[in-house]
Amino acid sequence: MIVVNDIHKRYKTEHGVGRWVLQGVSLNIPRKLNVGLIGANGAGKSTLLRLIGGVDHPSKGWIERRCRVSWPMGEGGLEGTLSGRQNAKFVCRVHGHQADLADRLAFVEDFSELREAFDEPVSTYSTGMRSRLQFALSLAFDFDVYISDEVTAAGDAAFRKKTATAFKEMADRAGLIMVAHDEGTLKEFCQSGIWIHAGKAYWFDAIDDALKAYKEAIPQ
Amino acid sequence: MREPRNPLAISFAVWQAIFLREAIDRLFDMRAAWFWLLIEPALHIAFITVVYSAVRMYTVGGIDVALWIIVGMLGFFLFRRTAIQVMYAVDCNRPLFAYRQVKPFDPAIVRAVLEAFLMAIIASAILAAAALLGHDSLPRDPLLVALAVGGLWLFGLGYGLVASVLMELVPETEHILKLLMMPLYLISGVIMPMASVRQPYREFLLMNPIVHGVELVRQGFVPYYHVVPGVDMAYLYAWVIVSLLLGLLLYRRFALQLVMK
Repeated sequence: MIVVNDIHKRYKTEHGVGRWVLQGVSLNIPRKLNVGLIGANGAGKSTLLRLIGGVDHPSKGWIERRCRVSWPMGEGGLEGTLSGRQNAKFVCRVHGHQADLADRLAFVEDFSELREAFDEPVSTYSTGMRSRLQFALSLAFDFDVYISDEVTAAGDAAFRKKTATAFKEMADRAGLIMVAHDEGTLKEFCQSGIWIHAGKAYWFDAIDDALKAYKEAIPQ
Repeated sequence: MREPRNPLAISFAVWQAIFLREAIDRLFDMRAAWFWLLIEPALHIAFITVVYSAVRMYTVGGIDVALWIIVGMLGFFLFRRTAIQVMYAVDCNRPLFAYRQVKPFDPAIVRAVLEAFLMAIIASAILAAAALLGHDSLPRDPLLVALAVGGLWLFGLGYGLVASVLMELVPETEHILKLLMMPLYLISGVIMPMASVRQPYREFLLMNPIVHGVELVRQGFVPYYHVVPGVDMAYLYAWVIVSLLLGLLLYRRFALQLVMK
């Protein structure tokens, strides 16, 4: 279960503090559920996702993760000067997998299909190669809840097919909180939905209701 | 569900990971980076020693001028390199904060430890080279050396912690801190003997805790070295404690601002 209690968030801009992106969001997200975040561009979907993942911190309020939550899948930090392998080692160690490091590395190397590039510095990678590595990294660990920000769009056609299968498998096994703009993707993976509108979040048990609410709010 | 890890276990895992990541960056960043890491201070020290020998200065404070310079510079470099490494620790590891296990304090402490490691190796190499060239470079009072060196190192860590938070909160401080670092080399008694400064100016220069550390390291190497009057280990450690506490306090208070967008 992830408890989100009355969080507010605004960013620092060059002209002082910005507007409130999230204003009093409270949610209880069960562990075994796949949830889609829906909302217009700039509504705060990615912000909420980053807050849940613990990458960023709310300006007010608190979040409690009572299970193992992944980092936002598309945003796994990669250090440009290190090679893909070194980055993977770093992530394994941070997550306490020093003992079975070799297994995890083998998985990442195999799944990302980077071949020789796996030992090249990440700064030389193309966008597609980066997201391959990031995707492989987040699949290498067993989390209770995965959070994902538009990650399904990564890589070329062949890799996309592979990720879709792996993604589906993962969504069946663990909980998932995802941002996607494509209605089909949301319906395919998610049972429930959270609609973010004007700084507030609304919970819907069924994703279809969330999509309906979202569409009704769009001015004709 | 797997048992959650103990917070201390997480910290150690993170420190280990950052240590290895930083070590790789420092040692293999460019072609033969590890070579330049060693050779840069060695050349610097060799150059100053040659200049001093050329102007016919054989002893300072009653000890061999080469040893006086080597030991003083190593102590000063330990402070300066630790301070600068810690100052930029958060900046250089920004992508890694995507993993919430990594806290802003982690790279700072790890960088200080790594710098101590590197300086220990560099110092041993340089002192061994000096011994081979016929200078008596074994510390006569290793405990005093350890205490003074530890003080310089911890002060570097404390200074770096405070500076990195200040730089993040008020970016303009970076210029001021850089300006401060420049003359520090000259006024810390590293290449200019403190004893040659006349009163009351020496009193002012002695307010700088690094002078105390550097002088005490020299005394640890050669017990009959004429330490400048007024040098005090307690004064150095007072600065260490104040800067460390202030630095940790600032990290505790502003840790979120350091990584928040």
